[in-house]
Amino acid sequence: MPKLIIDDRIIEVVPGVKVIDAAEQLGIMIPRFCYHKALGSVGACRMCGVKFVDGPVMGIHMSCMVDAQDGMVVSTTDPEAVEFRKYVIEWLMLNHPHDCPVCDEGGHCLLQDTTVSGGHGIRRYPGQKRTYRDQYLGHLVAHEMNRCIHCYRCVRYYQEFSGYSDLGAFQIASRVYFGRFADGPLESPFAGNLIDICPTGVFTDLTTRYRVRRWDMERGDSVCIHCSLGCDTIAGARYREVLRQEARFSEHVNGWFICDRGRFGYQYESHENRPRAARICGSETEMDKTIDQASQKIDEIIKVWGPEAVACLGSSRSSLETQAMLAEFCQMKNIPGPVYFLDKSIANKVKSAVSRLDMQLALSMREIEDVDFILALGVDAINEAPMLALAMRQAVRNGALAVVADPRPVSLPFEFEHFALLPENLKDFLFALIKSAVNIEDIKPESNARGFAGALPEDYPGDQEMMDRIKLLAEKLRQSRKTAFICGTQGVTETLPDAVADAAQLFSHTKEKSGLFYVFPAANSFGAALWDNSDKRCFEDILDGIEQEKIKALIVVESNPVFHYPDRNRLEAVIKKLELFLVLDYLPSPTVTRAGMFIPSQTVFESGGSFINQEGRLQYAYPIHRGGIPNYQQSKGSHPERVYGLGIPGNDPKPSREILARIAGLIPNDATTRDSLEKFDYFGHPFFAWLNREEYPFDNIRIIPQKSQAEPYSASLNKDLMPMGNVIKLLLVDRTFGTEVLSAFSEPACKVESPPVVYMHPSDASQAEITEAEKICLTLPGGDLEVRLELKENMAEGIIVLPRHRQLFWQKCHSFDEWMAVYKTIKPSQS
Amino acid sequence: MISGELKEKLLKEILEAETPNEKAVDVMYELQKVYGWITDEAMSEASELLGMTLTELDELATFYNFLFREPVGKYVIHVCDSVVCWMNGYEVLLDHLKGRLGIGIGETTSDGLFTLLPVCCIGYCDRAPAMLINRRVHGNLTPEKIDTIIDQIRAKEQES
Repeated sequence: MPKLIIDDRIIEVVPGVKVIDAAEQLGIMIPRFCYHKALGSVGACRMCGVKFVDGPVMGIHMSCMVDAQDGMVVSTTDPEAVEFRKYVIEWLMLNHPHDCPVCDEGGHCLLQDTTVSGGHGIRRYPGQKRTYRDQYLGHLVAHEMNRCIHCYRCVRYYQEFSGYSDLGAFQIASRVYFGRFADGPLESPFAGNLIDICPTGVFTDLTTRYRVRRWDMERGDSVCIHCSLGCDTIAGARYREVLRQEARFSEHVNGWFICDRGRFGYQYESHENRPRAARICGSETEMDKTIDQASQKIDEIIKVWGPEAVACLGSSRSSLETQAMLAEFCQMKNIPGPVYFLDKSIANKVKSAVSRLDMQLALSMREIEDVDFILALGVDAINEAPMLALAMRQAVRNGALAVVADPRPVSLPFEFEHFALLPENLKDFLFALIKSAVNIEDIKPESNARGFAGALPEDYPGDQEMMDRIKLLAEKLRQSRKTAFICGTQGVTETLPDAVADAAQLFSHTKEKSGLFYVFPAANSFGAALWDNSDKRCFEDILDGIEQEKIKALIVVESNPVFHYPDRNRLEAVIKKLELFLVLDYLPSPTVTRAGMFIPSQTVFESGGSFINQEGRLQYAYPIHRGGIPNYQQSKGSHPERVYGLGIPGNDPKPSREILARIAGLIPNDATTRDSLEKFDYFGHPFFAWLNREEYPFDNIRIIPQKSQAEPYSASLNKDLMPMGNVIKLLLVDRTFGTEVLSAFSEPACKVESPPVVYMHPSDASQAEITEAEKICLTLPGGDLEVRLELKENMAEGIIVLPRHRQLFWQKCHSFDEWMAVYKTIKPSQS
Repeated sequence: MISGELKEKLLKEILEAETPNEKAVDVMYELQKVYGWITDEAMSEASELLGMTLTELDELATFYNFLFREPVGKYVIHVCDSVVCWMNGYEVLLDHLKGRLGIGIGETTSDGLFTLLPVCCIGYCDRAPAMLINRRVHGNLTPEKIDTIIDQIRAKEQES
């Protein structure tokens, strides 16, 4: 291990570490522009020059280009090095405009800091500054090329790291221009990272431009809850409004970056129509009274009809604290446990996935960057969990082979082998692949692994050509050192998550690493699975119960079934039959507008909360601000009204768990301190028994067991059944923008979503005698649905892929997952 | 639009290359011969032929001195501004040319005859200072010699 001296202090680092990073480990931040850990060294900006006073290298060198070596003595403060850097910054500032007061980067600008610390204060260059024409880059990122210092970070990030090619470096020498071929929106769903990575104000946040400086914000560590990955973020609020969600470095989850859904999806928090007052039958009421009334009504129903007459629906986007409190609430009232999934099949898949995750098998997202073989089954990363696509890309850049088996027209920013298979065929594919790749003799004889491997079906059923492709892959899988098995939980069969876990386990003895990585439907699906009661009474049972007039009250906590349940007409009829339809939420959702009784709750930015991501990592999002109607909204851009009063306007919403605790009578309705809530946390579940309650809140802890209690190698070997005859499957899927519930209420995210669409394979379309068209008509059980058709060669045949777009009345499907007769289903649009 | 014949010829060349990318500059140069400069239409044709994005191609086209993304004059003058020409006083010559033609670097004379561009080392260091006119090299330049060359071109143009 190289040992060197930097500024009179000794440091030992692992081989290959650059001097600039060795210094950082000592807390010495050498100035830099082009260097970024995610991008590596290029030595272009010359800003990180230091003096090597002794050892194998002597003189002034760029600390980002030199590996730390034994015997080096480095000075960052040597007069010669200081003078060198002073000239470099003066030179980089030649063309930079003095527009810091109107620049959104001002206050957290690396160029500003470095200019000041570099000692450059007085301008000597009298010439004209170089100027550029800026481009329109879409709704999210603003462009100000005059500020550019040509460090190339943006293009290196955009093209090399994230794999998109519509932003480039044009021209030559001092005229170098970073932009697009022509004005137009940036195509990458990771474009927002340009804002973070640009060391000055060329790329800034367009969505909240001129609204805030970083030093004015209430900022804190948060967690992105727009998918199940749980990327670490920093949220910032000002004047009662969250205005930024930025990437926070995470060693295990997202690295340095986040996706645009995460970055621009937060504005549901300050949505103009966000419900901020309690309501009974549509008219606003006082918060405390409404809570009292809800409590009385529930007790009344229980008294008359029994506890079975009350049902609770929680959600996968709620914090653990809320989920746990809902379970506690049910227990106290003796009513059947809550359901957190609308679809029992998804509940089952998530539960079996959760039961299989343990410290040996589970991979973190950063670990995926390091594998050399990726098998992703039933996952469309860019649409379901965007940052996963970036992690997979890093692995591919390092030489990994990526294989994606999925019926959708998957498009990813790297080369991969796509097997467009129907969901029912994914398991056949997996089994045929591992059977060909595994060597029975290599498997540890102690476990039932050998029996499992031996019993696997030999072939991919009825397709020799496919089998040949699989055999080639199997060879690669056999040779791989580290393997990642990635598995989705939406749109796959119920037996797949288990089968993928077994596959990962099967190779865990013969490979350096054979890891398992699931993608769940929402941020806290893991937590939801811990408390969910779908086994005993699922959401379907609840609806039946209401129709049969056995269930009289439905309590919905932070869930939006009117949007997510695939039969809206039935749901609306059911709601009308209820004696009590109580909704707790912070979104202006269609479920909220239909609530008989509504109590406003707080968002994660106001209440904070714990979440468990899909790899079993417990994370905590800190409360960022106190909430209330944003100043900006109240004042319409002018001075706020001079209204004198106690408290914050529009600050009725309370954390859902507090509302539930009050309804249950666990805390008195007039309690004011947050402390009274402290004893209601998630530690009641045995899963968390080993955590020390005193240390709450917990952040960044893997809470999965060392060894899974589930029986390995018990995956069903039976083929997943497919109905016979001339039928086609309708698959409801997610999109990066337009389907996820929170970002669907965030203006910037809505602006960049593409219009609703349905995808079909050309051969299915020609069989149904339709062509690509602006509008086709799908005859669904609940009526006709008109939607634009796109034909895709790279998708499975025998399937219609329909994104659950927020602008589309897709809730006519009547089932989450359906086979239907083909000719009846699709026809050209009548209109 | 380029002719089918040229298109076929270029496609053949691209196919023969190990990767299409390595033919990008050649293809754009051929298209420039057709259009006189690389128009946006030429860019999309190149993009289609090579299977590369417009951004990727424009990164190259705007980098190289001999690919023009704007219309140029009938005679393109590339003045070498590299080290040896600098040592031999190219700056004086450049000023002379600017004065004589009445244009700055990157500009075209109003009669559409001359465009003045810098170029980095054309390998004529032994005859520095040097310049190219429509890729034909002129070395050991002096203001007088430049005047003669310009006068000759102007005379020739007036005749025709």
